[in-house]
Amino acid sequence: MRVIKAENLTITYDGKPALEGVNFSLDEGETLLLLGPNGAGKTTLLRTIACFHREYRGKLEVFGKEPCGARELIGYVPQSHSLNERVPLTALEVVAMGGIYRYGFAHFKIPRETLMKAEEVLGFVGLGHVKDRLFRELSGGQKQRVLLARALMSDPRLLLLDEPLSALDPSARAEVAGVLNKIKRERGITMVITTHDINPLLEVGDRVMLINKRLIAFGRPEEVLQDSVIKSVYGPLARVIPVEGKLFCITGDVHIHRHGGGGL
Amino acid sequence: MIPEYLLRALLASIMVSVLLGMLSPLINTKGLAFLTHALFHALLFGAVLGMIFGLLFENLALVMLTALIVTVTIVLLIAHLEKLGFSPDSAVGIVASFVAGLTVLGFGVLYKVMATRPYFPLGESIVSYLTGDIFLISLNSLTVLVLGGAFLFFVMLFLYRDFLYLSFDPEGMESYGGNVRAYLMVLYVLVGAIGTLIVQTVGLITLQVVAVLPGAIALMVSSDLRKVIGVSLLLTLGIQLSSVVLAYLTDIPPSGLATIMLGVIYGVLLFRR
Repeated sequence: MRVIKAENLTITYDGKPALEGVNFSLDEGETLLLLGPNGAGKTTLLRTIACFHREYRGKLEVFGKEPCGARELIGYVPQSHSLNERVPLTALEVVAMGGIYRYGFAHFKIPRETLMKAEEVLGFVGLGHVKDRLFRELSGGQKQRVLLARALMSDPRLLLLDEPLSALDPSARAEVAGVLNKIKRERGITMVITTHDINPLLEVGDRVMLINKRLIAFGRPEEVLQDSVIKSVYGPLARVIPVEGKLFCITGDVHIHRHGGGGL
Repeated sequence: MIPEYLLRALLASIMVSVLLGMLSPLINTKGLAFLTHALFHALLFGAVLGMIFGLLFENLALVMLTALIVTVTIVLLIAHLEKLGFSPDSAVGIVASFVAGLTVLGFGVLYKVMATRPYFPLGESIVSYLTGDIFLISLNSLTVLVLGGAFLFFVMLFLYRDFLYLSFDPEGMESYGGNVRAYLMVLYVLVGAIGTLIVQTVGLITLQVVAVLPGAIALMVSSDLRKVIGVSLLLTLGIQLSSVVLAYLTDIPPSGLATIMLGVIYGVLLFRR
């Protein structure tokens, strides 16, 4: 089943294009890695699919509907540093947030079933032991996994993740990438992930989209991660180095590698 | 034997403490201090306008009603400007400047109206909206405060978790099906309504402090939600009751005492950090 379909999509802010001429489609169970430099339009595209931004031209369908019509099927995971951590919420309360807004307006008490499910998904992301700890006291990787668990509470069929690896150390990146892999393997949820560092995510990615205010390339990882394509976005100094059977693309301060080799 | 007026003042203090003690952590976590100040200024404009109507129509019950209507209208105006794309601070700034101008004009009109009606109850003096007159609270006003306060308290209690989630991650709330605009609107209206209900007992100047500092102090000393609310409630209650008793004994205005005590506690905590 087709999950996302974009044709001649141009996203604008106050009438000015932020991202132009985007054509792509994504099928159920696939994971799209959305790559590009700062200001390329990655978050803009993600927020438009999530129905937070509604100013666009062209065609954009999510599960065959306008993005806002498919909201119940979408789980959105923001960057953890965009949250207000002054609010004293525990990890379990943050996760439960993802499951209570389909019913009722006032939520003085979290229903028992919601709490049980929240504990289950926290266990799924490997954080059952921190459920009573304050969200703000968790490590960066743990916070990101709590937000993933929150998104899973609504049983989404499409997960949108905004820079899930940003500001994380290498071990935390590996932890989060591991959980994303588990979600893909065990739940088969379609995912769109924006990232600067494609390196830890290549195992989970079925498609890669490279954008820089417009669509540069879209396809399978081995099709998109070509020397000429990378250079067209990151400049002539970007290059590809083979190391132990893997290819590392050096793009200034952003390093991209892909598994396997050949051809570059 | 406790004088009746003191008993009324103590009861009013308890209600004020319960409302502000609960509200204050929300104001701090949501970052509504600037909006709260603007709303309480709107209250003054509403009270001036209400006083004009009250004197003209010889019905001083119009004061609170007008203040409530003006405050809620201004809340809706701020929310509308935010919807049009203004940042929250800009929206508040624009409306607050406009309201400040109207308040000054209103005072000019009020003085003219007052000059034609030299006799009206002391408890309805416009100055009481600035400094508070908790010892002059009438039985009727106390009844309105307790009943209205209980209603607002339960609304706030039942929506407290939602307001916390709204403060934590409004986009997340929206993406999971929460109506962010509705929650925000209810929260703004609650702040305005609570202010309207208690402004005459504690005064506008003190209200601005007591609505913000207990929550700020509670968030400094604890990170557990229940403890934060508990500290805020107990602190507000302690400050309000002790300021009333001290005022009774020393004849110093209780609102001034409450403001100074809270300021000192906050300052000491800041210094110790």
